[in-house]
Amino acid sequence: MPQGRGFRRGQLLSWLMAVSVGCAVIGVGHPLVQGQNSKPTEYEVKATYLYKFGRFVEWPAKVESDSFSICVLGKDPFGPALNAIIANETIAGKSVVAKRIPAPQDAVNCRVLFIGSSENTRLKQILTTLRDASVLTVSDLPEFTQHGGMVQFISEGGRVRFEVNLATAERAGLTLSSELLKVAINVRRNIR
Amino acid sequence: MHKARHFAAFRTLLEISSCLLLVASLAGASWADASERDQDSGGPLKHLSLEQLGDVEVTTASKEPEQVWRTPAAIYVLTQDDIRRSGATSIPEVLRLVPGVEVARVSSNTWAVGIRGFGSGFSKSVLVMIDGRSVYTPLFAGVEWNVQNLVLEDVERIEVIRGPGGTIWGSNAVNGVINIITKNAKDTHGGLATTRAGNTDLGAGAVRHGGRHGNNLDYRAYAMGFGRAPGYHADGDNSDDWQLGQAGFRTDSSPTVRDTLTVQGDVYKGRVGQQISIAYYNPPIQHNVDGTQFVSGGNLLGRWRHELSDTSDFQVQAYYDRTYRLGPQLGETRNTFDIDAIHHFVLKQRNEIVWGFGARWSPSDIVQTVATVDFLPHHQADNIYSTFIQDQIAIVQNKLWLTVGSKFEHNIFTGWENQPSGRLLWTPTPHQTFWAAVSRAVRTPSRIDEDLQLTGLVLTNPLIFICVCDNRKFVSETLLGYEAGYRKLVTSGFYVDLAVFHNHYNDLTSYGAATISIVNSPPPAHILISLPFANGITGSTNGAEIAPDWKATRWMELKASYSYVSLNLTEEPTHAKTSYVSSYEGSSPHNEATAQALFNLPRGLEFDPAYRYVGALPVQGMHAYGTVDARLGWHLAKSFELSIAGQNLLQPRHAELGSVQVERSAYAQITWNKPAN
Repeated sequence: MPQGRGFRRGQLLSWLMAVSVGCAVIGVGHPLVQGQNSKPTEYEVKATYLYKFGRFVEWPAKVESDSFSICVLGKDPFGPALNAIIANETIAGKSVVAKRIPAPQDAVNCRVLFIGSSENTRLKQILTTLRDASVLTVSDLPEFTQHGGMVQFISEGGRVRFEVNLATAERAGLTLSSELLKVAINVRRNIR
Repeated sequence: MHKARHFAAFRTLLEISSCLLLVASLAGASWADASERDQDSGGPLKHLSLEQLGDVEVTTASKEPEQVWRTPAAIYVLTQDDIRRSGATSIPEVLRLVPGVEVARVSSNTWAVGIRGFGSGFSKSVLVMIDGRSVYTPLFAGVEWNVQNLVLEDVERIEVIRGPGGTIWGSNAVNGVINIITKNAKDTHGGLATTRAGNTDLGAGAVRHGGRHGNNLDYRAYAMGFGRAPGYHADGDNSDDWQLGQAGFRTDSSPTVRDTLTVQGDVYKGRVGQQISIAYYNPPIQHNVDGTQFVSGGNLLGRWRHELSDTSDFQVQAYYDRTYRLGPQLGETRNTFDIDAIHHFVLKQRNEIVWGFGARWSPSDIVQTVATVDFLPHHQADNIYSTFIQDQIAIVQNKLWLTVGSKFEHNIFTGWENQPSGRLLWTPTPHQTFWAAVSRAVRTPSRIDEDLQLTGLVLTNPLIFICVCDNRKFVSETLLGYEAGYRKLVTSGFYVDLAVFHNHYNDLTSYGAATISIVNSPPPAHILISLPFANGITGSTNGAEIAPDWKATRWMELKASYSYVSLNLTEEPTHAKTSYVSSYEGSSPHNEATAQALFNLPRGLEFDPAYRYVGALPVQGMHAYGTVDARLGWHLAKSFELSIAGQNLLQPRHAELGSVQVERSAYAQITWNKPAN
């Protein structure tokens, strides 16, 4: 053993340190402080918007359901963020649930529908299917509101904002609150 | 001796089991308080008003597990935050955190970076790309890490794909691909200045300025430099110091909504110290030479991406890359011109097709500086022409995908090579993914395999030299790889990634049959043993990697990984018995583990300790080691960050590969980072 005793002592020390780092990791108690500003991800903020929109939109009385469904069509970019945000939440007395749906036809019972960027190719078909459904359509696809979508996320300067197509929302029987319209960076009042 | 070995084995077991224990207890804890934390992580955001939500700064382009979620390969992504908090100051050091990647520092400026075995000073089966530009050298079959430097703050992410990637990336992506991706210029507006000093990182500095010109042109320019101290040499020979300066720029623009254009470039110049053993035909016959390699180079790259329609886009990329290196043993100048085009489109809604073609002209010139080391011919162009096609078929919409494809590539040594693969991806629920793949990949010959003429001394009396030379029949090393993987979001913050593999290799490099002759030229007369390279080794590797990641709370994240690989190689009986098999098998540790914690503490403090265990390399005489890196960062003010980092803290020094040892080190760094607006 070229390094002799020193080597062995060093190894033992290294093991002790390793375990103590591990123990420090496990042993630390409850949060020392909240809100250290590690930035949220883009999709954590977008997921929060999806939930928030539910509080600033009125659906026509004919829409009845036991729960308030936020649906995601296409590749789900939110991961666990959406479920974490809506856990144990209610909107208008209904518990909020998140659903991943395979086809636009399944969206008719959704209150809010997020259309993932994987659906770019069949966006027109999706929006045609939902033409008469009272579903708030949301996406971050470019030109979404021009193509008849209702709310489009827009990232600018490292922040997430949105624009609204009021005309399509109203045609679907949705009433958007003035607060929501005030915050939107752009409100389209014509269908196209 | 026996006792010592037992002790070492016991200690290894203890370390691994304590690591697993740690992971297991994390998993248990995460089950226990999952619901509590769910509210925790969703909490702060959802109590904001709509207006406040619009003012929340977000990390751009999600690099969370979600993005790699549906990749049917063993992919691991290091984000900018991972890089910054690792405290590492060079790219190979950053890669230590990636499961399945073996990093050994050979000297202060040289690393062996292997994936799933076969690590060496030049890891011939790992392909490395920086912003789509290959930095794999066709001279030595590997990567010269000491000229791959970046302002680490401007790196967006490093994607490491373990396993064969030849279908898309082409030759030499046999055991893995490392993609280093720098930030879009729109994400580096404002100023950055950073300076660092320590005992190994003697001094380093970088400045960068970025902004926007007109409506749609974003730019940045940077300059950086560093000097590093030699590693520890038992004989006091401090040959491996390293200095380098570099500058570069990047612009990103979108002339129309359907077009994006990137132009970027870098130039560098430096001195890389080394000690090498050189043979001479005249006394002193064999001599260790301390020498400096003078390195310089630069590159210019342009990339244009155009959306043809909602379902179709294409990208054209071209680059020029120049490398120059002149050392005591050899010199090379290489100019590489590369052009690639990729077209992506959707066919009948279920097929996502990507196809493309590329060409690379890479002439190089060798400067011979000693009589016993040469590459013949001195001038050669290593040209490549290639095409590939891949189809991702949605068998069950949003649930099951099959990806099939192949690359067809022509090289000057072996002609056409094909590298097909088939990959299956199944996402039974939104929170779990299974994937499996079968792929073929090739490591095509480099100049070192066919053109090297390297002579070394065997004995002075009688005078015997051995020459590795004149192999003109070298063929590609091939891999047939079988892989499978599983990912699961156990709870909202706890993520596990598991991969297993069985790789079967054919035609791995060995030495061929030796010939012995007496030669008079060059004088003096001597006996020459001529030993060509050959393709005489077959065999397989088996292994697995597991990497749990737990975002416990907003103030603590825990990560760990464990990687295992075993090699089982045999020499074809027709070939000379040589040491190649044992040197392959001894090239990579069987066991590696990491455990890392990231704490966000009050008053803008960050504390990031990381432990790593690397198994022994008995063939190389390397002992197993475990050590700790730790970083303490402090956001002094809005744009100032002060950090101190300690590296390899558990012992004064340790050897990783070869005789140069890595010393315990520390540095302090001040970063001023002021984003525009």
